[in-house]
Amino acid sequence: MPALPVLKGTLDLLVLRALNWTPMHGFEIVSWLEQAAHGALDVEDSALYQALYRLEERGLLSAEWGVTGNNRKARYYRLTSAGRAYLRAETKSWVRYAETVTAILTAPRNSLPAGDAA
Amino acid sequence: MIRDGVRRFFNLALRRRDQWEREVEDEIRLHLALRAEQFAAQGMSPDAATTEAMRRFGPLSTSRARLLDAARHREHHMQRTEFLADLKQDTSFALRTLGRQKGWTAVTVATLALGIGATTAVFSVVSSLLLHPLPYPHADRMVFVYQEPSTGNSTGISVTITPSAPVVRAWMAGSHDFEALEGYNSSTVMLQTRDQPVKYQAAQIFPTFPRFAGEKPILGRMFTAQDIARRDHLVLLGEQLWRTRYGAQRNVLGTSVTLGDSTYTVIGVLPAALRPPVIGDAPPDFWMPLDVNNNNLGMMLLGRLRPGITSAAATSELDSLVARSGTDAAAGALFRTRLAQPSDRVRFRDSLTMLSGAVLLVLLVACANVAHLLLARTAARHRELSLRAALGARRARLFRQLLTESLLLTTAGAALGVLLGWMGLRTLVAMRPSSLDELRVAHLDTTTLVVAAALTVLSGLFFGIMGAMQSAGNTAQNTVRTGTAISPGRRSERARGALVVTEMALSAMLIVGATMFMRSVSNLQHADLGFQPRGLYAVNLDLSSSRYATAASKAAVITGLTQQLNQLGTLRDITVAGDPPNSMSFSIGRFEVDGETPPPASETSFIEVKSVQPNYFRTMGIHMLRGSAFTDTTAAAGQVIVNEGFARKHWGAQSPLGHRLRIAQSDSEPWLTIVGVAADVASFGPTMENTAPMLYTPFNDMVLRSTSIIVRTGGNAASIARVRGLVRAFDPHLPVTIENVEDGTATSIATPRYVMLTLSLFTALALVLAAIGLYGVMAYAVAQRTHDIGIRIALGAPRRTVARSVILRGAALALLGAAIGLVAAHWGTRLIQHELYGVAKSDPVSFAAAVIVLLGAAAIACVVPTRRALAVDPITAIRAE
Repeated sequence: MPALPVLKGTLDLLVLRALNWTPMHGFEIVSWLEQAAHGALDVEDSALYQALYRLEERGLLSAEWGVTGNNRKARYYRLTSAGRAYLRAETKSWVRYAETVTAILTAPRNSLPAGDAA
Repeated sequence: MIRDGVRRFFNLALRRRDQWEREVEDEIRLHLALRAEQFAAQGMSPDAATTEAMRRFGPLSTSRARLLDAARHREHHMQRTEFLADLKQDTSFALRTLGRQKGWTAVTVATLALGIGATTAVFSVVSSLLLHPLPYPHADRMVFVYQEPSTGNSTGISVTITPSAPVVRAWMAGSHDFEALEGYNSSTVMLQTRDQPVKYQAAQIFPTFPRFAGEKPILGRMFTAQDIARRDHLVLLGEQLWRTRYGAQRNVLGTSVTLGDSTYTVIGVLPAALRPPVIGDAPPDFWMPLDVNNNNLGMMLLGRLRPGITSAAATSELDSLVARSGTDAAAGALFRTRLAQPSDRVRFRDSLTMLSGAVLLVLLVACANVAHLLLARTAARHRELSLRAALGARRARLFRQLLTESLLLTTAGAALGVLLGWMGLRTLVAMRPSSLDELRVAHLDTTTLVVAAALTVLSGLFFGIMGAMQSAGNTAQNTVRTGTAISPGRRSERARGALVVTEMALSAMLIVGATMFMRSVSNLQHADLGFQPRGLYAVNLDLSSSRYATAASKAAVITGLTQQLNQLGTLRDITVAGDPPNSMSFSIGRFEVDGETPPPASETSFIEVKSVQPNYFRTMGIHMLRGSAFTDTTAAAGQVIVNEGFARKHWGAQSPLGHRLRIAQSDSEPWLTIVGVAADVASFGPTMENTAPMLYTPFNDMVLRSTSIIVRTGGNAASIARVRGLVRAFDPHLPVTIENVEDGTATSIATPRYVMLTLSLFTALALVLAAIGLYGVMAYAVAQRTHDIGIRIALGAPRRTVARSVILRGAALALLGAAIGLVAAHWGTRLIQHELYGVAKSDPVSFAAAVIVLLGAAAIACVVPTRRALAVDPITAIRAE
C-alpha cells in the first residue's frame, strides 16, 4: 500500500503529539512520525519544519539550542503549556470527528435513515 | 533551561536577523546530514544517500525560501509579543516597586506636581499682565501714542498729553510706519431710566476699532464714517449690558436710549471679548462714535506698527508729520511724540518681574528635589541593580525598566501638575484685586506649562536613569562579590550635598524677597497719607447738563445741597472742592515765582491745582504746616496755599509765606500770594509720589462743569446712605456719584498686596520643597550610616556625640546654602527696592527671618532622621548589613 498524503491541519497535531513526552529536534520528530505511522504517512521533510516554525510562532512550542547524543548542535522543540492544552483539545475533537466519519462510512444500510428518493 | 519569564526579565532573547537566518540554515544542514546517515546505515552509497535525503526534504531552493519566510514571521511575531510582554511586565514591576515605597512615590509625584502647577499658575498671571497686556492681534506691535511737552517743565511733573484731533488726523493721513491708528476715549454716562439715572461706562471709538481688535458686532452693525459725519446719535451696547439689562433681546436694535441729555439709537451689540485698551478697565457698556473731525477733542491713541518698524523711527515720523501739518503750529513746537509699550503702563512691573523670577527659583528647587529624591533612591537600590547587572541583564533592558518607572512617575507628576496649575490659576484669578481686573481673562500659559513640565520630567528621567545605570554598571562585580552595600561613592554624596546647598540658597532668596514685600505692604497699610481717609466720602456732582446752564443755577445746587447736608446733623464736616480728593486737574502755562529768574517764554509747565473751600483742610484732616487756610476767598485777594513739596523745592527750610507766584498765559495774569503751607497728601495711596508741587486756590463761584462735596461721616454706613437719599430727593435728575475716598487709597496698594500674597504663598511652597529635599538627604545619609552609628554606639560612644556629628553635617549644608542665598538676595533686592515702601535694601529683619526659617527647617529635617537612627538597637544595625 503506498504512503498516504497527510491531511491539511493534521500535521500540526501529529508534531505536537510527537513532543508530548520529551523535547526533540527536527529529525527526531520525523523519525518518530515514520515509526509511529509504520511508513503509512507521506510527509515532505521541509513541510515538517514549516509546521514547527508555525507552531512556535503561535506559542504552542518553544525552542532552545541543545546538543545531540553525537555532540551535534540541534534545535530542540518542546511543548509549551499552551501547546499541551491545544493538543488535548484538538485530539479530542479529531477523534470524535474521525469516529463519526468512520461510523457513517462503515455502517450497514438499514441502520441509516432512508433518503427521500428511496 | 531558563524559564520564559526569567529570560524576558533579563532580556536574553532578542535576536538579530543574521542570527536566526543562520539557525535555519544550520537546522536544514543537520537534518540533511542525519537523513543521509540514516540511509547510509541502511546500505546506500554516500552519494545516493545524500541525493535521497535531498529528495525527501523537497526541492531545496523553494523549501529553503519557504522556511526562511516562516522563520521570519515567527521572529517578528515573537518580538512583538516579547515587547508587549516586556512592557506589561515593566509597568507592573514599576507599579509594584513604586507602590512598595508609597511615601517616597507620593513625595516625588507631589514635588513634580507642585513644581509644574505652581510655576505655571503664577507665570500665567505674570505673563498675562506683562507680556500680553492688550488682548488684541499682533499685540507685540502695539504702542500707545502720546505727546509730552518738548521744552522745559519747571515744575518737574512728568506729563503725557493725549493728542488732539487735528494732530491725529495729520498722523492718520501721513503715516507709513503705522498699520493702524485707533482713538479711544472713555467716560461715564448717565442712562436715564424711569426712576433715576444709572451710571455706566462708555467708550468712544473709531468705526474701525472692533476690526483692529479682532472682533465684530455680535448683533446689528458697527457705525460708519458716514454715520459720524452726519452726526447721527448712534450707540452699540456692550454684550454684558445687553444680556443683563436687555435680556439679550434681538429687538433691542432700533430702540432709543437716553444718555445724559441726548437720545441715541441702538444699532448693534459688541462682544464682551472686545476689551478696552485701558489696562484694568472693564469692557464698556456703551460704545459710541469718536469723531476725529471734531477739533475740540483729544483722544487716547493706540497704534499698530508695521512689522520691523522701531519705536524711534515711528516717533520721528510722527514728529515730522506734526511739524509739516501746519494745522496746529503751536502744538508742533510745544509737544513731541512719545510712544509707550502697553506693558510700560503696568504698575509694579518690577515686582511682577520678580515674581516670575521667583517662579523660576521654585521650578529650580522642584527640579533639584526631584533629582535628589531619585538619586537617593538609586543609591538605595544599588544592590538590586548591581545584582541584576551581574546576573546578565543587559544595559538596554535595565534602561528600559528604569525608563518605564521614571516615565510612570513623571507622567503622574506632570498630569497632576497640569491640574494643579489650572486650579492655581483659577484661584489666583479669583483673588485678583480690582486694580488687576484684566486678569479675568488670564489663561493657562501653555509655553510655561510645557517648559516647566519638560524641565521637571527631564530632570526626573535624567537622574532616574543615568544615576541608576552608572550605579549598576560601575560596581556590579564589587557589590555582588563582597555582599556589602558599598556606599555609592563620594561623588554622588557630594552631588546631593550640592543640591541641598542650592535649594537652601534659592529658598533664602525667596524668603528675603517675600519678607521684604510683606513688610512693605504692612508699611503701606499704616502709611501716613497726609490726610485721614477713613469715613471720607466725595459726592461728585455732574453739572454739565443743560439744566444747570448758568453759573447761578450751578451755585444754587451747591449751596442748596450743602445746606441740607449740614442740617442732616450726622456729618462731622462738609466742604466743597472743584474735584474729588483722588483726582487731579492741572494748570498749564509759564510758571513764575516772584524773585526767581523768569522761565523762557516758550516754557509750558504743568502744576496741579485744587480749588477748595477754606475748611477743606480741616475736613480732609490735612495739617497746615505754616500760615493758615484762606482768609479771603475772592479772586481779588489772590490767596494761594502751596504744599510742603512745593515750599521745600523753592524755599528750602525758609518760610514761603508772603511770596508770590503765577501761572501765566499772558503777562497780565495776576500774581497770587502764598498764605499757607499744607502737608503733602498721598490721595492716590502711599505708592504714588506725593511731594510733587501743587497749589490750592479758593473755590469760588467760577463756572464749573463738576463739583465735589466732600463729607466726613462718623464711619457708619447708615449716615452715607442718608446722604445718598438726601441727594436723590434734592434733584432726582442730577447725575451724582458717591465714592469712598478710602477705597481709592486702598486700590493703589491692592497690586503690591496681591504680589506679596502670591509671593508669600510661593515662598512657603519653595520652603516646603527645600525642607523635603534636606530631609531626604539627611534621612538618606543617616540610613547609610546606620551601620556605622550602630558600631559607634556599641563601642560606647555617647549617643549625644553621634547625634551631633550627624546634625552638624546637615546644619553645615543649610548654613552654606543660606549664606550663598543671602548674598544673592542682597544683590537681587536692589532690583525691586524702588517698589518697596519703607524697607531698606539690606533690611535686617528680612535677612534675619530667612536665616531663622531656614535653620528651623533644617533642624527639623536633621533631627527626625537622627532620632530614628539613634533609636535603632546597635546589634540590629550591625547585623542589618
